[in-house]
Amino acid sequence: MVNVLKGVLVECDPAMKQFLLYLDETTALGKKFIIQDLDDTHVFILAEVVHILQERVGELMDQNSFPITQK
Amino acid sequence: MKLRVQLQCKNLHEYLKELSPEILDRLYNHPATCLAVYRELPPLAKNYVMRMLFLDQPLPQAAVALWVKKDSEKDHDQCVSVLSGLRLWHSQQLQGGLQGNILNPVFKDNLRIALLGGGKSWADQGDSLGPDRHARDVESLDKYALERWEVVLHFMVGCPSAAVSQDLSQLLIQAGLMRTEAGDAPCITSAGFQFLLLDTASQLWYFTLQYLNTAQTRGMDLVEILSFLFQLSFSTLGRHLREFGLVFQRKRKSRRYYPTRLAITLSAGVSANSSSTAMGATPGTGDSGFIVVETNYRLYAYTNSELQIALVALFSECLYRFPNVVVAQVTRESVQQAIANGITAQQILHFLRTRAHPVMLKQNPVLPPTITDQIRLWELERDRLQFSEGVLYNQFLSQADFEVLRDRAQGLGCLVWQNVAHRVIVVSPQGHGEVKRFWKRQKSHT
Repeated sequence: MVNVLKGVLVECDPAMKQFLLYLDETTALGKKFIIQDLDDTHVFILAEVVHILQERVGELMDQNSFPITQK
Repeated sequence: MKLRVQLQCKNLHEYLKELSPEILDRLYNHPATCLAVYRELPPLAKNYVMRMLFLDQPLPQAAVALWVKKDSEKDHDQCVSVLSGLRLWHSQQLQGGLQGNILNPVFKDNLRIALLGGGKSWADQGDSLGPDRHARDVESLDKYALERWEVVLHFMVGCPSAAVSQDLSQLLIQAGLMRTEAGDAPCITSAGFQFLLLDTASQLWYFTLQYLNTAQTRGMDLVEILSFLFQLSFSTLGRHLREFGLVFQRKRKSRRYYPTRLAITLSAGVSANSSSTAMGATPGTGDSGFIVVETNYRLYAYTNSELQIALVALFSECLYRFPNVVVAQVTRESVQQAIANGITAQQILHFLRTRAHPVMLKQNPVLPPTITDQIRLWELERDRLQFSEGVLYNQFLSQADFEVLRDRAQGLGCLVWQNVAHRVIVVSPQGHGEVKRFWKRQKSHT
């Protein structure tokens, strides 16, 4: 019998995938959202966390950037 | 799952290709149209048309193919597709059974008239009106045209001083450039932002095409409008046209139309040569570009046109404002704000390139590579994750099962991802229903 699961396929680079695994382990989004870890660059997640995930990724990028210029 | 609507700016040819054959034929009945279409053809195609203009019999395709050298095969093929797309020539069976090409007879006759003279005169009203007491010279016409166009763009940006007619704002809404919530004033959409950053010729074309699309629904004849437009651009001298700044009409009732420079550019279409002097002047700045971009992300805009300043402020932070300069800084926040509004990095860079100051034009490449790369990187930052909805199938009992299902999904074109080693596939939601039914049938068979 084949197993059928509904969700969202996420494609990203390996570094970003590690970040997703980290969020999942610490249940930072409130629950575990990774249904299956497919390979180095693909993950299958729940459909409802997509927006919060984008926000979290945005926050990560903001943390890692610094203002280049001086006014 | 983000939808980025890209603004498609078609030129004359692409628009004509989409019209139905009957409309095209009626359109080709006017010599002005034929001349305009001819001017837009690539040089090789113009050559072909000229050669076949005075022939009354079809020419074998082999003969036409001989007109180019072996290494220009690609150009020849491109020409052929352009000419057939515009229905300028048909294939016809010759006596010997070969395939021949002959020019569309309607097009041929009218192009002959256009080139050699004769036929109905185009500007037949001009002479009978006598000299105009309120004749305007070229400069004031230009100013008027640019003013009107700026008012339209101002209205889009949301400046309170701009006021346009109901019709025009309806058109903007229908074109998808603005949207209106119930009862509120219209506000700009992301497609509208992209529109603002285009150069003037593209903006004009997009606008006219939208207007033409809605004109059909209003019951106005498409052919008449198009032929009038083309005639306008060819003369050396519309309630709606007046508003765009395409024509100048002193009063609503006067019978004279003065086509402005904008209308003439319309016929020239969106050509790759955007440095043509005729419409190279962006509003309010004189004849040259006005933006200088430095490698420290600073932007200096030598203008005092409200519109241009508003456009620059779309993607940068304004620091200082002087009577003739605006100093702004391109920052991560400002660019990402613009991207969130629907503008792409490509458009920002195109905007900067087309309005680059002559001093910038001297260096090669025009914009500093650091700036172009950084703007693109800021755009890519938001796209690190790509989402696609799907349905996961795993835990197949055998390799054969997996392969059968995988091939079926591939055949339907809905296979999103697969991993053969682990026997896992992801199918798109649209294809899921079909694949599930197929699987049930398979199971009941075996």
